[in-house]
Amino acid sequence: MTDVVLANDERDALVTMVVRGMARGEATAEQQALADAGLILIKGPIMMPTPAGTTFVAEQLRLPDDAPERERIMATFHRFLPVNRQLRDLCTAWQVRPDGSVNDHADENYDADIRDRLDDIDDSVAPLLKRFTEDIPRMAGYRSQLTESLAKLDDGDDSWLASPLKDSYHTVWMHIHQELLLTIGMSRKEDEELEERLVSGAGA
Amino acid sequence: MTPASWTQPVDDVGLVPFGSGLERGLDERSLCTRGIQLEILAGLGLPVGAGLTIPVPNVPGFTSPDRAKAAMNLLESISGRQISGTTDTGGLVLLRLSASAPVEAAGLPPDLVCLGLRRSIIPDGLGAKARSDLGSAWWKTAVFIAEHALGVPGEDLGTLDFDYPDVIERVEPFKRLCEEKGSSPFPSKRSEQVAAGAKAMIERWNSPRAARARKKQNLPPDLPLALHLETVVVTEHDDEGHGFAVSRDMASGHFAPNGAFHHGFRWSGERQPTGHPLSELPDGVEMLTGVLAELEGRLRSSVIVDFEYGPDGLALVGLEQMRRPNARVATSLAVDLAIRGITDEVEAVRSTSPVHVLELLHPQPKLTGDEIPFVSGLGASPGAAVGRIALDSEAAVEYMEAGEPALLVMSETTPGDLPGMMAAAGILTLNGGSASHAAVVARGMGRPAVCGASGMRIDREAGTVTAGEHVLNAGDILSIDGATGIAYVGELSIERPGPSPSLTTLLGWADDSRRLGVRANADTGVDATTAIDNGAEGIGLCRTEHQFLGDRLPLVRRVILSHDFDAEAAALAALADAQREDFRELLLAVGDRPVTVRLLDAPMHEFLPATAADAEDEHQARMLEHLHEENPMLGVRGVRLALMHEGLYPAQVEGLFNAWVDVVSEHDVRPELEVMVPLVSIPEELVMMLRLIRRVNQEVASRTGVLVPFKIGTMVETPRAALMADKLAQWAEFLSFGTNDLTQLTYGFSRDDVERRMLGTYLEKGLMTASPFAELDDQGVAVLMEYAVTKARSVRPDIKLGICGEHGGDPSSIAICEGLGLDYVSCSPQRIPLARLAAAHARVGLDEAGTGS
Repeated sequence: MTDVVLANDERDALVTMVVRGMARGEATAEQQALADAGLILIKGPIMMPTPAGTTFVAEQLRLPDDAPERERIMATFHRFLPVNRQLRDLCTAWQVRPDGSVNDHADENYDADIRDRLDDIDDSVAPLLKRFTEDIPRMAGYRSQLTESLAKLDDGDDSWLASPLKDSYHTVWMHIHQELLLTIGMSRKEDEELEERLVSGAGA
Repeated sequence: MTPASWTQPVDDVGLVPFGSGLERGLDERSLCTRGIQLEILAGLGLPVGAGLTIPVPNVPGFTSPDRAKAAMNLLESISGRQISGTTDTGGLVLLRLSASAPVEAAGLPPDLVCLGLRRSIIPDGLGAKARSDLGSAWWKTAVFIAEHALGVPGEDLGTLDFDYPDVIERVEPFKRLCEEKGSSPFPSKRSEQVAAGAKAMIERWNSPRAARARKKQNLPPDLPLALHLETVVVTEHDDEGHGFAVSRDMASGHFAPNGAFHHGFRWSGERQPTGHPLSELPDGVEMLTGVLAELEGRLRSSVIVDFEYGPDGLALVGLEQMRRPNARVATSLAVDLAIRGITDEVEAVRSTSPVHVLELLHPQPKLTGDEIPFVSGLGASPGAAVGRIALDSEAAVEYMEAGEPALLVMSETTPGDLPGMMAAAGILTLNGGSASHAAVVARGMGRPAVCGASGMRIDREAGTVTAGEHVLNAGDILSIDGATGIAYVGELSIERPGPSPSLTTLLGWADDSRRLGVRANADTGVDATTAIDNGAEGIGLCRTEHQFLGDRLPLVRRVILSHDFDAEAAALAALADAQREDFRELLLAVGDRPVTVRLLDAPMHEFLPATAADAEDEHQARMLEHLHEENPMLGVRGVRLALMHEGLYPAQVEGLFNAWVDVVSEHDVRPELEVMVPLVSIPEELVMMLRLIRRVNQEVASRTGVLVPFKIGTMVETPRAALMADKLAQWAEFLSFGTNDLTQLTYGFSRDDVERRMLGTYLEKGLMTASPFAELDDQGVAVLMEYAVTKARSVRPDIKLGICGEHGGDPSSIAICEGLGLDYVSCSPQRIPLARLAAAHARVGLDEAGTGS
């Protein structure tokens, strides 16, 4: 795959699509070029990366094992995973009440409590994001995306917390997580196992 | 208590040890929710945790170390323990400070669980786990105080966390940071720590974050706080710990105490859901069971209690009422409380919400026992799904494009799998729990999901999924139940469940409370059986339109389009025979109950060929053109069509009467027949039909020797019929309000057009609060009905009056029907349980308003 040569715009478009998983709407010139190169698939209004496209991006983003910043990124990543668990638990509580029923968002007290706790998570991730960005400059935009989703949530649209169909807080968070995994070169399975070890206090 | 009174100042009442507030005449205005919970627990006569409340008026002054010192002294005398000292078992005694408001509120400051540590030194004497827990707890407490009471920037505190991963090494740099950036150094004296903790909590409660939370809950911006100070024992002994117990099982709703407990000290302010199961608690389960039963009776709600246990036994430290229980818990609790004599049947019915009934009757996978379980995992997103196995996103998207439901089966999902998750009907994953990416996204998209089904093996190259002896290929059909977490080989049927035992009991009590009869709209024997199983007292509307469709359509066309008298007569005779079979099935299911059969009401065009090209012959084609209608719903329909083709209704009633004779002789059941003529607006239309029907009745009698008993009635669908109700009642033995058409014609609304194009705007602009087709219009349509009821009863006092529109299954409309004094409502078979409850609510509501009899 290393023989693929892409213009910068095309490369950025491909990275974005692999991180986000898909894109919708009319294909741009870059996306069309990627489709022609067999790196993405266009199916009606949906575009998604092909395995070749995913592999290409994984190779592009992955830090070499001996990269000097790797150790620092890993140390911060170890702090990120327990917060990641907190966010997923919070999204779960937002969607499902403790008794297993679907949260219909009619209980203001319940929703306000979850929104309040999201501030703790946002406070926790802020310094981590700052550290990641020092080593991975392309991650700089995520802070403002998270803040934007919070603002929209506070404007009264509940879907900005966890809806997978828009750039909700959870969606942006997943993009951050995905970009970190690609950078570190860690599989989702390894990532989940590491998170479980860190959360259960068994150490890394 | 009104919101305004929460913020009224109350007098200085000093410190209030747990359990001594009520006898001093204090209430939630000064003690707040946690203070009241401890009062309730202490009132049970059982041990409660040692603690005291700093009531609302005393909170501002509590930021003084002298006041804090006084509280600590009082707490030492209540608990018999020395703060910062050790217990007999070597535990370290510390302080926990928490806050609550006069009403349940989100946005409260977190509990500070580690106050009173001398000079912030974590003692060596404790074991490793206790030291580690204590370290985390101390750090949380210290950071909160530094940020909110001393004004140290949060960012600097976060940096410290990075630079000194070990808590013990972090203490000194932390103190230096407070000295440099804080308004004062971190307090070393214990009373100063407590006072600073109180100050931090007050500051946090006044922060924009907490203000936002109050606003979101519509709580007053100046809602006050009370503080609560308790002892905490830091310990590592297995015979000391903490936990919680819930009174009910959330899945069944039954009273079945369950919960979890942990060894060691309660270092987090939040409940830890996972831990040792309550059944393993060495001592005290019996006491907890008694406590939970007692509290349920007293508070009339499902409850959760928090407890601590130690060498001296169990102490209760917290109480929570479940404010919004799920449907199973709510119905089961209502029945239990009534059976215990704490409430009564009427109260149980009143406390059950129609929403709960709908929730309990939501469609679910129907298990017959013949299913083949494939693999089980965690039910991560509710609902059931059936589809073809897709092992990647691309396959799922391809199935979607082909119009086939897919079931996405993956090890785990990533954002890259989003297209597949959107395309699939359901998701099954090997790894991950109920908070995994797959679960969060599936719930966000409303897709059923089972996660963590670790018993299966996915081989993407071979295109197979294996679990136990079953090897399935990509493309095979698989079903999942997102509630139970089980996947099944093949297709699962999905149906509405019958009422649960608790709901059956409640609905029985509802039947005792209601006056309105509840009947069903059912056209076939199968529907009628479902309706009767759900508690219908009869059939309020049997539509006969479907009896003219399918292979009978050519017969109807011949009746309408024929120019040959013999051909029309032959077609009518064939129709009568065919309908006899339909009615037999229906009447058999109805048994001895009443059944209202509505004669043909559909607009004529529904039976005619769509274009002249589909006509049987040239004559039909010409007739078709001739019969074209501009507005078929207001054209030749119902009784009007029957008057144009006088053989139609006699053929229908002949089939009906013959079927009645059949079931009486063959099965010994005697359904109470009610024959209903639709779309009448001129009383003479009814009179003419009555003559025709009586003639058929006589003909059947002379042929079979049985004079079939029947009542004749009409629908009230047009405003004119409502206005002429007294004239109709001279002939009609019953009237049934067809409120779908009556609403259309009273407003002059064409339902489909209005609902599609206009209703949203009207609701938005506040011209309407609900669709008049969903909730009966009490200002207009109901007034017309009231006029008709009065007129009809003035002529025939015992006339039977009912409603058979969709409104018959809507609680607010049912309440209107109760107020109008109708005899029954009729609704779809699935909504019968809801209508039984709503009819009882309507009656109880009227009785309470003093207008009922």
